Amino acid sequence: MTGSQHPVAQLKNLSVDYQGGDGWTRAVDDVSLDIASGEALGLAGESGSGKTTVAYSLMGERRGASRIAGGQVLFRGRDVFQLPRHELLALRGRSIGFVPQNPMASLTPSMRIGSQIGEMLTFHAVATPQGVAARVRELLEQVGIPRPAEAARRYPHELSGGQQQRVAIAIALACRPDLVILDEPTTGLDVTTQKRILELLAALKRETGVSMLYVSHDLASLSQICERVAVMQRGRLVEEADTAALFEQPRHDYTRRLIAAIPRIDTPPTNRIAPSSSVTGAGEPLLQVEDLAICYASRTLLGLGKYPPDSDSVKGVSFSVARGKTFALIGESGSGKSSIARAVAGLSRPRLGTIRFGGEPVAALAQRRPLQLRQKIQIIFQNPDSSLNPRKTVRSILARPLRMFGQLNAVEREARVVELLQAVRLDAAYADRRPHQLSGGERQRVAIARALAADPELIICDEILSALDVSVQASVLELLETLQRERGLTYLFISHDLAVVRWFAQEIGVLNRGAFCEIGDTETTLRAPSSPYTTQLLNAVPRIAANLPMVTPLERRL
Amino acid sequence: MAVSETSIGTWRAGLGRATRGLSASGRIGAAIILVYVAVALTGSLWAPYGAAAILTGSPFEGGSLKHLFGTDNLGRDVFSRVVLGTRSVLTMTFAATFLALAVGGLIGIVLGYLRNWVDELGMRIIDILISIPTLVLALLIISAIGNSLWLVVLTVAFLFAPRVARVARAATLNVATNDYVAAALARGESTLSICLREILPNIMGVMLVEFAIRCAFAIIFIGSLGFLGFGAPPPTPEWGLMINEARANATNSLWPVLAPAAVMALLVIAINLFADGLSRMIDHPGYRTTGAK
Repeated sequence: MTGSQHPVAQLKNLSVDYQGGDGWTRAVDDVSLDIASGEALGLAGESGSGKTTVAYSLMGERRGASRIAGGQVLFRGRDVFQLPRHELLALRGRSIGFVPQNPMASLTPSMRIGSQIGEMLTFHAVATPQGVAARVRELLEQVGIPRPAEAARRYPHELSGGQQQRVAIAIALACRPDLVILDEPTTGLDVTTQKRILELLAALKRETGVSMLYVSHDLASLSQICERVAVMQRGRLVEEADTAALFEQPRHDYTRRLIAAIPRIDTPPTNRIAPSSSVTGAGEPLLQVEDLAICYASRTLLGLGKYPPDSDSVKGVSFSVARGKTFALIGESGSGKSSIARAVAGLSRPRLGTIRFGGEPVAALAQRRPLQLRQKIQIIFQNPDSSLNPRKTVRSILARPLRMFGQLNAVEREARVVELLQAVRLDAAYADRRPHQLSGGERQRVAIARALAADPELIICDEILSALDVSVQASVLELLETLQRERGLTYLFISHDLAVVRWFAQEIGVLNRGAFCEIGDTETTLRAPSSPYTTQLLNAVPRIAANLPMVTPLERRL
Repeated sequence: MAVSETSIGTWRAGLGRATRGLSASGRIGAAIILVYVAVALTGSLWAPYGAAAILTGSPFEGGSLKHLFGTDNLGRDVFSRVVLGTRSVLTMTFAATFLALAVGGLIGIVLGYLRNWVDELGMRIIDILISIPTLVLALLIISAIGNSLWLVVLTVAFLFAPRVARVARAATLNVATNDYVAAALARGESTLSICLREILPNIMGVMLVEFAIRCAFAIIFIGSLGFLGFGAPPPTPEWGLMINEARANATNSLWPVLAPAAVMALLVIAINLFADGLSRMIDHPGYRTTGAK
């Protein structure tokens, strides 16, 4: 590559070990990489592949309980792990900028963002005290924050997630570094915001000529920014190639799997096996939601007054879900999707509206609903880290609904736990583990098994894929699909991933600010959207840069 | 023989698991507490003299092999009295703290989980209870109702419970927003069942630390009550009471004042060390391994 004679940063046969329960385990194994001046290098791989460890090592940072087992990390020819402490501190921030995954966690909540950017300038003494304010405004303008002078006086919580990430980028760029390390910078953002951040990064790279190391599990995002992509799997570098070459001719099997796992909204779905129609009453509406309005604003004193006007986060939404089918709710974060899910599950009391299940109106709160109804409606949450009690074993997590809803004795329950684990493709030995001993995908399978334990008719899936890696998403989705075919389950499927929804759901409702802007058959709706908002959502789906040929259909991932 | 060796082995492994991650000072604290517990359990078997035995030597003797901590104005052996007093001090302390934790913890968890007007009302009542000076309230209760060991225990528990409730509520607020609580709610679990099954196991660490800290407070508090004559009646070998009785004769001999005071102080320090180590271990699991190169 041009300029690779003078790389900004170099990893030479780097190996890093982490201390595990017993002894050291290798997290990064003999990795060599060059980042040329002005180049953006993508580092792909799933969680646990060692990509974040590599990114941190470039800043001379060893995370807790780890050691460098071999190799060197060179920045401008000098080994960062040999640098004296004051030089290392000068290196970080001054020569290497860092954009973390979660801006909300990395910005100080009690400090105005202008001061947080300015702190960087004064700490590294790159601006005179008088020049700081001007440079802060310039940076905020550069990262596309409107009215910079005013924005500098705001606190992080007053900004949206996308704007917070822009501020984090401004901090990283403050000292005009040679290299910026981006650690999954768009993972927590919804698609439209993600698209804008990617555009910003591409523009900044053009304007400033800064080198980038872009760490992500999302090859589609990488393809839009990076000239070269390196792929890591289980600590090893399995492939490194120019972006175009990587997509055209992935050499390693793992790369092919990652590429195949990219959601492809532009390919029309081929025949997904239709849900079983042999279920009794298939096609009849199982769940009907009428004029649902949800308000989180608190009423005045002691809850006696009226709700403030215009404060509904869901504004009169009606839809129905047919038995044995999947209805998808689509929308950006804050559109009210999850509020609807929680109301249907009986976790919050809607302000207005009726929810009917099997034709009968149901009580608002789960505690008021009869046992059989609670059994028939189950919910799976977005984040399996939070939806499984960390102090319980998988067995006791699964046994609880069995005990509540079933009449099994202890022996039968134990057998049923094993059956449930098998149903979600987990080994029976998992029964004795606790959630922290499972991977994210395995935890979500346990959460699915817990929903199945009740033997439900309707399962509410609230963004259940978004916390999972792409290839894990595929297998969880496949599992849901099989379960629907075998048991005639009905899904209320909440997602922001249009590609998944297009494949998985028969009907779709597009939510914007708490109201449907479009509702109907999935294929028709997505092929010819009648609402500009749907079109906007469709356009924002990350795809592989246009000049790269790609023929892998979405179904390949399943 | 072989059996006992294996059982010692597994016992050691268990101890190793329990103390792994506990800081050195935390281990020292734990060791001292264990010695106190051992003394409390076995003291009556080996204490050289009875607690009420007078004229075991001449009054106001200094420390010697015969009387390790000397003798008091009635010639009672201070060492024996300190040893024999351990049991009642530890029993009362643990009983009062345990009661406070059980009642206050449950109230705190329920309030923190509900977070509605019940919580609002409950917290204001707790604020009021906390704002009353503890010693004054304790003296009021005891002088109004009577003077017995169990009343002291109940009083201390009553005074500590609102403070524990606050800690438990704060810990619950972090846990109650988790989706496993929502999952239990959607399943239709009762409030009590959610609090005990889903929330309590997750704040157990905080409650353990709270227990240790409250124990230290309780020892001083019970000692203070004894000192003021509102605890056990004489001639019970209660440390606070012993200090009070010996106070008048401090010019004759300091041993009867200093010995119970030092023993009480050492126990409180040990509990604080242990509580500190415990909270660090719970806040930073693997704290010690991280420091290792």
